[in-house]
Order: sequence, then C-alpha cells, then structure tokens
Amino acid sequence: MTSRFHKFIKVCRVFPLGSLALAMPALSDMQSLDDADMAGISGQSGITLEMDLEVGASQLSYFDDGKGIHLENFRIGTSEAEQGPASHVIKIDIEDDASLNLDYLVDNRRIEFRDITLDGVPGRGMGGVFFDHSLAGNFRIRSGGARSAAGTTFDSVFSMTDGRLGYRTNGNEVFLDDITMNVEALGITLDVVGQGLEINVPRVTGSYDIGAIRHSGNPSNHGRSRDAQSGQLLPSYGGLSGDFDLSTRFGIAGGGRNGEGFRIDNETTIHSANFLYIDDGNALGFRDITGRYNINDLRVDVTDDWAGRRALGLTLGSLDGELAIGGIEVGQANGGTDRASFGQINLDFLFIDHAYNGRSYTNAAYLQGGGHADAGPQGLQLAAEWSLGNADLSYTEDGNRLIFSGIQSWGRGDITVNVTRDEVRNGTRFYDGLRIGFESLRGGYRINGLRVGDDNAPLQGGTELLLALGVYPSYEFDLDGHITLGAGGADGAGLTINSDIRIRDGRAAIIAAPYNEGQGERSQKGLWLTDLDYDAHVRDMTVDVTEEGLAIIKGEAWSTMDVGNLRVGDKAGGKSFGRFVVQKYETGSSMTVIPGGAGAVCAGGSGSSSSSCEASGGRWEDRGDEGVTIRLKQIFAKAVSESRKNAFTWETNRRRSGGAPVSGTGTQLVLNDIYTSDGDGSGSNSFGIQTDLAVDVYQTKVVKKTDGPDALGVSGARGDEKIMDPTRAAGYRYVSSPSSAQRQNRPLGFAVQAQSQFKELSINNIDLVHPTGGAQTMVYGVKMQNVNINANLTATPIP
Amino acid sequence: MMWIRIFSVVLGFIGLVPAGAMAELDRLTDEALSDVSGQGGIYLSGDISINENGGPIDNSYYGSCEDANKKCGARFAYRLKEDGGWMVLDDIRGNFAFEGLTLRVRSVDSGFGGDGQEFDSDVVEIGLPNIVRFNDVRFKIAASNEARPTAPNFRQTDILSVQMQGDVVMEGNMLVFPKGNP
Repeated sequence: MTSRFHKFIKVCRVFPLGSLALAMPALSDMQSLDDADMAGISGQSGITLEMDLEVGASQLSYFDDGKGIHLENFRIGTSEAEQGPASHVIKIDIEDDASLNLDYLVDNRRIEFRDITLDGVPGRGMGGVFFDHSLAGNFRIRSGGARSAAGTTFDSVFSMTDGRLGYRTNGNEVFLDDITMNVEALGITLDVVGQGLEINVPRVTGSYDIGAIRHSGNPSNHGRSRDAQSGQLLPSYGGLSGDFDLSTRFGIAGGGRNGEGFRIDNETTIHSANFLYIDDGNALGFRDITGRYNINDLRVDVTDDWAGRRALGLTLGSLDGELAIGGIEVGQANGGTDRASFGQINLDFLFIDHAYNGRSYTNAAYLQGGGHADAGPQGLQLAAEWSLGNADLSYTEDGNRLIFSGIQSWGRGDITVNVTRDEVRNGTRFYDGLRIGFESLRGGYRINGLRVGDDNAPLQGGTELLLALGVYPSYEFDLDGHITLGAGGADGAGLTINSDIRIRDGRAAIIAAPYNEGQGERSQKGLWLTDLDYDAHVRDMTVDVTEEGLAIIKGEAWSTMDVGNLRVGDKAGGKSFGRFVVQKYETGSSMTVIPGGAGAVCAGGSGSSSSSCEASGGRWEDRGDEGVTIRLKQIFAKAVSESRKNAFTWETNRRRSGGAPVSGTGTQLVLNDIYTSDGDGSGSNSFGIQTDLAVDVYQTKVVKKTDGPDALGVSGARGDEKIMDPTRAAGYRYVSSPSSAQRQNRPLGFAVQAQSQFKELSINNIDLVHPTGGAQTMVYGVKMQNVNINANLTATPIP
Repeated sequence: MMWIRIFSVVLGFIGLVPAGAMAELDRLTDEALSDVSGQGGIYLSGDISINENGGPIDNSYYGSCEDANKKCGARFAYRLKEDGGWMVLDDIRGNFAFEGLTLRVRSVDSGFGGDGQEFDSDVVEIGLPNIVRFNDVRFKIAASNEARPTAPNFRQTDILSVQMQGDVVMEGNMLVFPKGNP
C-alpha cells in the first residue's frame, strides 16, 4: 500500500466517503475562532458553532504515478451569489457512550469546481460542476466497526432543500433544479480490512423530488432557475421523483490497473425503489423496483487510453445484477389513481470480458476533456469499450411472460458530451441542449432466442417478433453523429430532440437463428441487411408524457437506408438479393405510446360480446388491461430534393469491383416520390397514414400442419393444436380437441391488433433505370385512396 | 402495419424467384426438417379486412357503406402513359383469414430428389397456411380519365366486378432465394 493511500485511509476513517460533503459540512474547513466568533457559542451540554464559511482553491490535484488530474477553481461558499460565505450552524455534543453527535444547519451553500483538467492536455477540460443545497441533519460517530473495535460506526440523517446540481461547459449548463431529499442511513460501519477499507451501509432509505431539469444557453446564467436577461423560467426537461431502500457495501483499496490508483468493489441490494419522470403533472413511472448488483474490481487510474490519450481510466472486472420493475405506468403524477400499466420488466445482466466475432472486448471508460472538437474547450469525451456478455430481458403483461434470452452487446469508440446552444460554431451546427456525440463507435448486439413462460423453458426462435417494435434481432454498426436533447416539449416541459446519425457498414437481421444452441457459438443464419449505410436526420422532435401516454411529434425527419446487399443465410457470405435503398421524408409525423393493449378482441370474426363474436365464427379473447398500444401518424411529404423524398429502389446485376458489386452500376427499379395527401386536390397533407397497433403477450392458437412427428419429434395429426405441457420433454404436446382448461395453456406469442388507414397515397412514377440507357418511366403515377385495413394477427415463436 | 411491412418485404421476393428453380423443389415434411438446425422462426395466424366498415374519406364519391349512392371501398389507380387514362381497381373490400403462415430461414443441402445436395444454399421459407378463407372479397376493374373520382369532368367505365367467397387451399412451403447477379 502506498504512503499516499495510508494518508487517504486515515482521512476516511474520520470523514467517511460520501458523507464528507453532506454530513460533515464544516469540519474539514475549521479555523481558529476569534472573540467575536466565540460570542456565538452557547449551550451547557455541548458547543454550538455559527460560522459564515467561504473556501476557495485555484486547483485541487490528485496524482497517480506522477500523472495529475485537477479540479480547477474549487469553491465552497454561498449559492446565492458568485462570491460570499455560506452560513453554517453546528451543535456538537459528546454523548454518554462517548459518541460524537453533530446537529447541523447549512444555508444555501454551493460546492463548485469550474473545470477538470488532466496533465499533458492543455486548453481542454471536462467541464464544471456545481452543487447547491441547504441542509438540516444529524451526524453521529462512535467507535467500533462491523469487523473490530478499531473501526467506526456512523449514523446520518439529513434533509436537503433548495438543491441544484449542474454541469456546465463553455457557458452552457444543464442542471437539476429545486431538489429536495430526505435520507436516513443508520449503522454505517467503516473498517480497515486487509489492505483497504470496507464501508458497510446496512440500510439507507430516502426520498427525493427534483422540480425541474433545466437548460441554459446564456453564459450570464449560472445555477439560476430564471434567465438573467428575460427573467423567464428556463426551459425544463421535466422533473423527477422517487424513493429508495438500499443496502450497500463498498471495498476500497489502493492500486490501480497499472501502478498507483484505486480499486473499488461494491455489492448493493435494492430492497425497494420507485422512480417517476414528471412532465406537466403527468408521470411515467417505474414502480416497485427491486434488484441487486455487484461491481467487481473496478480500477480508477490516471492513465492513457488505447489511442495513447491521457484520461481518467475506469476499468471494470465485471458487473452483474438483476433488476425487476414491478410496473411501468403512465398517469397523474401526484397521487392520482388513474394509472395504466405497460406491464413488468425483469433484467439479468453480466458485463464481463468476452470475444465477439473473433475479437475480445472489455468494459472500460476513459474520461477525457474537450468533447466535440468544434464545441469549445470544455466538454467530456468518453473513450468507451463495453462487453455485455449475457443478459436476459423479460416482459410480462397480465401474467404472460416472454424472455428475450442471451442478449449480448459489444463495442468500442468515442462518446462526447457537451452542453450546447443553438449556434453554428467552428463550422458545426449545434442545438440547445445536452449533446451526446458518437465518433467512430463500432458496436453491435445480438439476441440468442426466446423463452416463453419461465427461464428454464426451451430456447426458441422468434426474435423477429421484435420487428413489430422496430428492433432488429441482431445489429452491428459503425456509428457517427449526435443526439441533442433539448429542454421543453410540444407544450411546457418535455424533450426536444435534434439528431444526425450516420451508420456505416451495418449488418442488421430481419430474421435470425440462435447464435448458440448449447453447442458453442456459431454464425447466425438469417435474412440480413448488409453493407448497410444509414443516414437519419431529425429536427425539433418533441417527446412529452401526456395523460394518454408518451407522445412523440417529429418536426421534420429524413433518412436514407442503403442496403448494399440483402443476404440470406450467413451475414457475410450469404447470397444476395441485390441492393435496396429506402428514402424517407416526413413532416409532422407523430407517435404515441400508450399503456394497455387490445383488451377484449373478437379474433377472426365480428361482434362486441363473446356470444356475438363466436356466432360470427370468431374467437373471443380478453387480452387484459396491460400491454402496449402504439398510435402512429406518418405524413410522407412530397419530394423537395433528391435527399429529402420518399422513394424505394431495388438494384441488381451490378458491375463488380474486387469481387464486390458496385452500387449504382446495375439495373434499378425505382418507386419515386411516394407521398400522402388528404385526397381532395387542395394539396393539404395532414391525415397521413394513421396506424394503431395494440400489442399483447397472449395465448395463440397453433395448429399442426402435417401428420407425424414435428421438428422436435413430437407426434400429432394435422389440425391438432399445440398445447404447452411442462411434463413433456419438449415442453408441449398436440391435442386434437383441447378442453377449455387445455386452451388456457396455448403457447404464448405476440397478439397484434392493428388498424391502418390513409386518405390518399401516391407514387409519382415508377422507373426502370439502365446503367447506360438511363431511366425509362414504366408507370406514370399510382394513387391509392380511402384505404382502411384492420388486422388481428398472432405471431408465435417456433422451435 | 408493422406486420404488413414485414409481409410486404418478404412477399415482394416471391415474384423474383425463377420459376425453373422452384419447380424442382418439393415440400419437406416436419420429420424431414427435424435434422435441420438453426431454423427458429415465427408462426402467424390472423385475419385481415379491407374497408369492412368504409374508409376515412367522406365526400361526394366516398362515404358510408350504408349509403347506396356512395362507395365505401378502397381505390387503386395507375397509368402507363404520361397523359393517358387510368386503370382502376375500385371499391375494394373484403376479409380474409389464415392460420399457420410460417416464416424462417433454413439451409437446403439434401432431399428434393437429390437436387437439394446440389443446391446447397440458404433459403427464406414461407410455410403456406393450409387454408385461406376469403369472405366477401370484392372489387371492380375499371378505366377512368382521372385518378381522383372527385376531379372535374371525372368519367369512369366499370369493366367487370370480382367477388370471392370461400376457402383457398395453400399447402406446402414457398422457398425464396437469390439467383443471378445481385
């Protein structure tokens, strides 16, 4: 253990980590009292200190193997002005058991540093952080830890009000505003164990409210709710609210991944938690959260990343955990009972070193200063590598559970974070908000298969079901671009998103077989969009939580998906159907995601009751209160340029170069300038294509199509129904005339009730394009009018 | 709509398969498939109706299905000459249902009377439902001088009406695979 770390441990034994700033507000800053100060000390049973405190340091540094990281312009003082002290009142008592008891009041204090810099990187910083708060609390220290009498035990209870936590780069800031928080943590123990510290928090409970998350693009503002010039409230992303009941244990030891540094291990159990995102009185709630996670061998070093860039390195041995969300709901924020539920989510995960497609990945993040090169000197650059070795994600609604099993994800690249304002700076267009940039981020994910019912059910195919929710079963990509999250929705609080995303050399599966059926990993067979280039742009897309659900309104969106080869079989070597290009241009399209699925449905017939439905030949199904309904309005605009239009191109017979077909050299079929309109000749285009999709996890009727044994050797006759039966080796059997009870054990799948309608959809022209002969128009216009399609579909995974 | 998109992507390939290649392929039984690995997929059932209760336009031409003076079906028009007339499928309505349409990717490297070994490639397999039930599916084939029936001087000549009712038996698998220079 280094001598520097010995000193750190001695400090920690007096001031436990985490509680240092909140619960021990003045001890580290104690100074000698003059006569005037002494006049403020009163009381018979202890000492009361009343202090106006301001502390400043131009630089606080930490050195690791001679490499430094620095907090610049550190300050503790009042939060109400840029300068001046904060008031502290501390009552100190020695109790009968020799414990030290501190009652404290802190009024409007700000703890701040203006930048974080690294040695050897002049002129670039990670940005500044400020933390405002008033505190009232109690802190008690007594001797004796969990491991030995040499340890220490702490109790901490406090209430925080007027809280504000902000991140600032280049004069722009995003901050949590109007934070109130109550925390109780009793019996915290601190022991020296081996070469490190062990901190055990047997129970910490609390609640919090964050009134708003605000953005400011005005450099004159600094941690204020209102704009300095206009006096108007700064725009808000919405608020947060929640409570928690946790147990946690930390181990902290000296020694980084290389030389000096820290090692951190942590075990945390979430006994209960609730989390609400609040937007103008409506809440998206994640309720009844339980779980646990273990951080194993997290090392913190000041070091260089894989490209030799100086960074604060966080390298992880492994992270595993489980998370259960008892209900994802939308409803009124303040105690309203009118809530609707999407259902429940369970997640098991393991981040660990692993090889994918022949290349090994670890879990590491290297924090560097600067952010996007054109955004200014301050920002955060994250050289990140991740390896999600395995995860199972299950979705349960109305008691029916589907498990997406064997999820893996990997990648490496740079992620930049800047708080930006609406401007063109150094030739790059920025928008108001928190800008998350992606620079040469090469990553991917894949899903092994589905399990239905429980974790031990047989692995099945069917991940294609996720396409109904717009998710590919497998995707590899090279990503550049940004998503800028602005404050303020369509009305009041919410999000405004501007985004430019570019994917190169992508491989996305439309259909994908498992990558591991128990005999080791293998190349996934499927139907693949390969050699995929995708450019997508979104302007002024708003996201709001409404009484109904999550409402997303696109201002203007355009994209080009260029699939170099649509391959069947192997994603690299499978034969190709040719090249496909899909261009989209939408203005004013919207999507609302609503909790609750189809409810009671007459499948295959018509009728509003069980009897009338069955009389019409249909099947009456009550799919319950939970599920997901997606309400889409897609307004396809008429072409305004070659890059902003709706078109579809299929190209084959391309000339080859180096064995690979060259795009643009073959024969093309082009459906050009596809657009919607209201069909009245006025040119109005407000109706678009309106689609309602209600998706439930529900029992589906699966009928055997041929006599004899099936793919898993289970015998049955043509027309027999598949009935799940855990007593059978395959997990199911075939029944010729299932009883009512047996029908309750039909296999689970996705049940989709859909309605799609449009007034008019036009294709301006359909051309055949020859590489030398040019374009020949084959069809001079297509118009479809007054279309209303209703569908009841069930999709079930098959082994 | 999403499922319709998926169907449209897959079914779009059907017309692209060389007829000669398809003719030599026979249906595999479930048992024959039992030694084929990596064949997970999905099984689809359902019913789809088009303009069963009319469409979204209400004007002088389109309206309620209860109104004998108006049409409540969908309309599809296209033209092959720049200034020519329009071929029209008009008043499209109906309902069809199917059970057991399957979709998966699999390798064909045996069977088919020995052709499978020579073929030795991956295919998209669309397992046809045994029965597709058509219920009152109807449309008219017509010729028109305008795409929109509400245009001034609109004239249309109905050529014939089609109505389909009953079951269509569709057995076996449709195998879709690339052929030729992509």
